[in-house]
Amino acid sequence: MKKFQLNEKQLGYAMILPSLLLVIVVTLWPVAQSFYNSLFDYRLNDPTRSQKMLNANIDLERYVDNYFYIDGQLSDLEGNAEGDQLEAVQQAREAIEGYHQELTSDAEINAKIEQIDEMLMNFEPISDSELKYTKVDNDFAADYRGALENISADFLSIADSTDNEQLAQSFEQTGSLLAGTSDNILESNFIGFANYTKYFQDQRMWQSLWNTFYFTVVSVGFELVLGLAIALLINRAFKGRGIVRASVLIPWAIPTAVAAMMWGFLYDGQTGIVAHYFEKLNIIPSASWLLSTSDGGMFAIIFADVWKTTPYMALLLLAGLQTIPNSLYEASNVDGANKWQQFFKITLPLLKSAILVALLFRTLDAFRVFDLIYVLTGGGPANATESISVYAYVTLFSQQNFGEGSVLSVIVFLCVALISFIYVRLIGSDLFAGRTK
Amino acid sequence: MEQMKRLLLVGIISVLAIFVVACNGESTSETDNTEGTSDEETTSEGNESASEEVTIVYARGVDTTGAIDLVIEAFEEKHPHINVELREMPADTGQSHDQYVTMFSSQSSEVDVFDADVIWPAEFAQANYALELDRFIERDSIDMDAYFPGTVQAANFNGKQWAMPKFTDAGMLYYRSDIVEEAPETWDELIEQASELQGEEGTEFGYLMQAAQYEGLVCNYIEFIASYGGQVIDDDNNVVVNSPETVKGLEKLTEVVNSDFVPDNILNFMETETENAWIAGDAVFARNWPYLQASSNDEERSSIVGNVDIAPLPAGDEGHAATLGGWMGMINRYSEHPEEAWEFLKFMTGEEGQKIIAVHGGRAPTLEALYEDPEVKEAGPLFANPEFVNVLQSAVPRPVSPIYPEISDIMQIEISKVLTGDQSAEEAAENMQSKMEEAMGD
Repeated sequence: MKKFQLNEKQLGYAMILPSLLLVIVVTLWPVAQSFYNSLFDYRLNDPTRSQKMLNANIDLERYVDNYFYIDGQLSDLEGNAEGDQLEAVQQAREAIEGYHQELTSDAEINAKIEQIDEMLMNFEPISDSELKYTKVDNDFAADYRGALENISADFLSIADSTDNEQLAQSFEQTGSLLAGTSDNILESNFIGFANYTKYFQDQRMWQSLWNTFYFTVVSVGFELVLGLAIALLINRAFKGRGIVRASVLIPWAIPTAVAAMMWGFLYDGQTGIVAHYFEKLNIIPSASWLLSTSDGGMFAIIFADVWKTTPYMALLLLAGLQTIPNSLYEASNVDGANKWQQFFKITLPLLKSAILVALLFRTLDAFRVFDLIYVLTGGGPANATESISVYAYVTLFSQQNFGEGSVLSVIVFLCVALISFIYVRLIGSDLFAGRTK
Repeated sequence: MEQMKRLLLVGIISVLAIFVVACNGESTSETDNTEGTSDEETTSEGNESASEEVTIVYARGVDTTGAIDLVIEAFEEKHPHINVELREMPADTGQSHDQYVTMFSSQSSEVDVFDADVIWPAEFAQANYALELDRFIERDSIDMDAYFPGTVQAANFNGKQWAMPKFTDAGMLYYRSDIVEEAPETWDELIEQASELQGEEGTEFGYLMQAAQYEGLVCNYIEFIASYGGQVIDDDNNVVVNSPETVKGLEKLTEVVNSDFVPDNILNFMETETENAWIAGDAVFARNWPYLQASSNDEERSSIVGNVDIAPLPAGDEGHAATLGGWMGMINRYSEHPEEAWEFLKFMTGEEGQKIIAVHGGRAPTLEALYEDPEVKEAGPLFANPEFVNVLQSAVPRPVSPIYPEISDIMQIEISKVLTGDQSAEEAAENMQSKMEEAMGD
């Protein structure tokens, strides 16, 4: 008998399986979930679309509640109406009861309805969505909804043509109740890529994407240059270097929201000290330019971001600088190279991978910028500083539109994935060149 | 050096860790507590629960007047078994809104009673975030006719009552009675007077308003367009924002914002900035809600006590207009203590609570009878002023829609773009029209 045994290659894969699973659970699953959400017209604050439904569904909580009133109101109408109107009411009852019976003929649904009825009597909220919603046949749902809408329209037209004011009011009331009930029968809200088409034509999306892109390139560019300068400075031996190294980190250690509030005060057009000195130094046209114009707003957030994250850049580059052996500089001194030659021929080439890693982190970070903008400018003035993350937040949380908001999240994800892909290619070819062969 | 850096890092991390643990500990013990009481309550049922201590959480925006503490004090005195814990929400109503909807869409019970802006009830009711109050109102026989009809209506959606009106607001014009002889009648007169009187008695600006990109800008905008006869959404739910009247109103608003008698950074002004500059005596005119009257006459904070008077906002071609504001009290649908929450809501929005808020907070009551109350009359000359009551009764509501946040967002962006000079008033009107139609058609 042959014993089951993994060969070396299979064993290798078996070893990394747990980490692969971890990657899938931690990173891919949320992305897949967002993508799935983005295929629906999914809005939390709209009861007809607050669930992702591939099939027709009935919101039983509201349906049962409404059905109770329908029953009572139809009986009232039967007692008061006459002739043609009475006939219309009776036909309506027959039709509605027919559909209701068809619905309750399913034992499972019937049990749910009874349980909900009891909970409603006790004014208990129904928070279990398994209980609250039930799947129904698409055709049945369409028929039932259509029937309710027709009866509602009939009742409303009867209400318009009736002279008896009280009766007209009852008809109108029942009509709008029936229209409301038809909204409890929910269509599938799967809409495929319609949300995506919408956003690709949405000027605001492109504007916010451009804002994000502009912010990322400019701020990361400045951070790189300044960060490198600071790293070179604190890499040298001088008195008090420890204190300088520690104090450089302070801006980075302040929570972004707090820093943004602080800059809000510093930039203030009336009392802000930074705004005041910028104006005095003729860097900006007037103190209020910073937070109340489109260009000023962008300048303000970039400046604050550079202030805040340059230390982070400097720290990463400092780590890279310290791996460069001093002997290289000594050798070049012997060869008579000047400082510039040393910098361009030794420091920069050897620092390349450290720079790329630092840039990767910073670019990804900057591209997802949210807290700084949200607190400092709120996306204004005139939406000139709205980043794609702020736009996604507004759609997701202010408007509770999870379907469309998820599209924006997916767009952010795609951009971030693209950026990392490019960097990893750049770094990979450099960093792992020696190892893969 | 390396060691020092490492030490620093370890220090920071441990401080953060302690912080996180401390926060967690606090919140878990809190939830344990409330869960415990609710369990006991359900077993003891009704009458006996009165002896159990219950803590309810009441959330509201920033209150600089301190009136709410007095309301809570008075309430706790009357109901010793109910403790009310206050939770402060952001001053920007848009931000509070976002926090509430995040809280409620996850069916959290952390807040029991909360203040809702006059524009929220339709949305919250439709989304099932709030508890309908009809059966409480009926049981305790609250007379809803005693409230201003407009405020009750704003809290009614689909025939059910979702909120209790707490105080009502309308935009009004404040002016310095020591500088201005006669309040301006029209916007043009305001512009003329503001630029002429700017600088007198140590003032720096002629006029203050709210022009930052947020909800307050929408209120100011509605006042301008309504005074020229414009509307955003008509009674039949059609978008009518692209009309000559709204364009004219928006152009007038732009003229004021771009004039040299408003602060340079008017585009960052919200209510708080307006209040601060106003009570420091920096301006001749200001547009704000009624509460500014109380802060203007607060001896401790204000330097212009006794020199402030009010008037209706200036008129356009169609007369005066003020945006209806104000706040309501609502109960979280997922509250674990609906009975106690209702007791507090009833007290706060009832005669006693509203009186405290009017007398100490300068907020306009929604109970008509309170305007006859001598103490209320004495608290603010505003409340004794019949013109003020007229302004309140005829205030213009903002568009009523369950997708109001989206409508407001569109307005904020398009108007802000006009104010920064990125587009013309006509373009803004066209854009708003098409975007709102699209949003409502969805």
